[in-house]
Amino acid sequence: MEPTTGNVYIGGRDLTGLPPYRRDIGMVFQNYALFPHLSVFDNVAYGLKIRKMSKADIARRVEECLAAVRLESFAGRMPHQLSGGQQQRVAIARALAIRPKVLLLDEPLSNLDAKLRKEMQTELRSLQRRIGITTILVTHDQEEALSLSDRIGILGEGELQQLGTPLEVYRRPANRFVAEFIGQVNLIEVKAAADADAPSGTRAFYAEWHRLASGSPLVLHAADHPSLDGKDTALFMLRPERVRLSAEPRDGAANANGAEIRVESVSYAGSTLRIAGVLPGGGELVALAGDPSFPSLPEPGRTMYAHWEPGDLIPLE
Amino acid sequence: MPDSQPIKKYRYHLFSWIMLTPGLIFLGLFLLVPFVLLLVISFRDVDGFMNMLPTYSFAQYVEVFTSKFYVRMIGTTLWVALVTTAICILLAYPAAYLLVRAPGKGVRTMLYVFLVSPLLTSVVIRTFAWIVLLAQNGLVNEVLLKLHLITEPLSLLWNMKAVIIAYVQVMLPFAVLPIATSLGEIDPRLRQASMSLGAGRLRTFFRVTLPLTIPGMMSGAIIVFSLAAGSYITPLLVGGRLQPLLPLAIYQQVLQVANLPLGAAMSMTLLVLVGVLVAVMGWLLRLWEGRMNG
Repeated sequence: MEPTTGNVYIGGRDLTGLPPYRRDIGMVFQNYALFPHLSVFDNVAYGLKIRKMSKADIARRVEECLAAVRLESFAGRMPHQLSGGQQQRVAIARALAIRPKVLLLDEPLSNLDAKLRKEMQTELRSLQRRIGITTILVTHDQEEALSLSDRIGILGEGELQQLGTPLEVYRRPANRFVAEFIGQVNLIEVKAAADADAPSGTRAFYAEWHRLASGSPLVLHAADHPSLDGKDTALFMLRPERVRLSAEPRDGAANANGAEIRVESVSYAGSTLRIAGVLPGGGELVALAGDPSFPSLPEPGRTMYAHWEPGDLIPLE
Repeated sequence: MPDSQPIKKYRYHLFSWIMLTPGLIFLGLFLLVPFVLLLVISFRDVDGFMNMLPTYSFAQYVEVFTSKFYVRMIGTTLWVALVTTAICILLAYPAAYLLVRAPGKGVRTMLYVFLVSPLLTSVVIRTFAWIVLLAQNGLVNEVLLKLHLITEPLSLLWNMKAVIIAYVQVMLPFAVLPIATSLGEIDPRLRQASMSLGAGRLRTFFRVTLPLTIPGMMSGAIIVFSLAAGSYITPLLVGGRLQPLLPLAIYQQVLQVANLPLGAAMSMTLLVLVGVLVAVMGWLLRLWEGRMNG
């Protein structure tokens, strides 16, 4: 495939026009792509034989790489005699054997069932730490991306949307695409409310669609942020786990945000509880609570009170 | 109702056996019975006028395996079949490669039609075409004469080379199809993996693609070999009836000399030899596949 624009550099070397066999990238394929006619040893030795290394050097390097993925005793097996997880480790050992600058993992865990995937995530992370090689992992699983990586690049609509640490990407998404892509989110469109009084360090806004029983817009207090300067409208992100729910209205501080909601649906996922509700005058709000928050599940139709801190409202581009 | 399960199964089996009966009767009558007859006749003795005697012996087999003429003929027959098989596999591989890599479904379908269309005409017609091409006053000689590349027509027909050329042409599709199938089954990511490990196109072909198509080449070889060792129309038409090939000799013994027991003994010999060779090839194929897939 030809890139339309841009160049690819690894360690200062331009790889853009190079054929795949000159790139020195350790590639691990989604289905592992082990050579079915070669033993585990010969699979790992493949790239070394191509490089015309001596037999003794090849044997040493293969042993080293198989030890790194803890498969020393499997050298004589054929790929079909291995489990999915073992095949993947062989694929990693094979990629590492050529001492690449970068290890590229293409959705390495998408073929595994949920439980094994969790185990392999831990395994993969500790393996990568142990070997200390720059690794690029392609995944569609946001949780996997957050828990495995030092930095996440989010690609959308053919462009890099954001590059940042898991914390930055989750707590300070660059735009609406990233916010919606990583985790669940409440999006609140607002208009600046110059007339409403805002406590120091916050700004007041009127919600566009979230309305009270009287029909007047919900007033929001958001933590001050330079990106809000001189803007008439804004879009706020509110993570569901930041929304707290209570049975009775709470007389909080003046800068606290709060709204009455009618519970629409409740879904219980064991460790968490997802409650979706609507404001009396319209506008949806989703809250995520820990399991111990409620002695029994709130019934749909009942009225509850949601509240959150000004700092929980994150402005998006 | 756990009891109904075996009954259902039994009924299902009964039904399939009933459906199979006509086919089995046909095969029994026209394959098994003649085969047994052939076996029995091959042990019969003959008198000087080739009449079958009521006595049984190994005389015909002794004749086949002690006569220098027949032993050499067996060797030639297997050798010609082997050469034909080798040429077919060699020529079929690029064709199969082209077929599998054809851009778009339409082109591929068209290539398949080209490949299979010769099979729709009879072997006799396809072989006659070679006579038209290779005869003393045939197309090839005419063209070469007109171009003044030769002064006298070459004798291209009535020799073993002509037989092998015609064999290859007739049997090529049987080699292309299994190779194309096994080429098509190779995961393209295996080639990508090979390249990512530093192997260029050529080395990727010899280290990954070629080994993975061994099953296809073996299946093709088994089909071509058994066809080439057993056919007599093609050698009769382009090689002439004097070529030292076992199928031709059988044809002559049965229809011209009318020595049925000797013809039968030669048939059994050919059958067993080809059977053993095909079994060995099949065993190697199973061994290789077992190594890959368990």
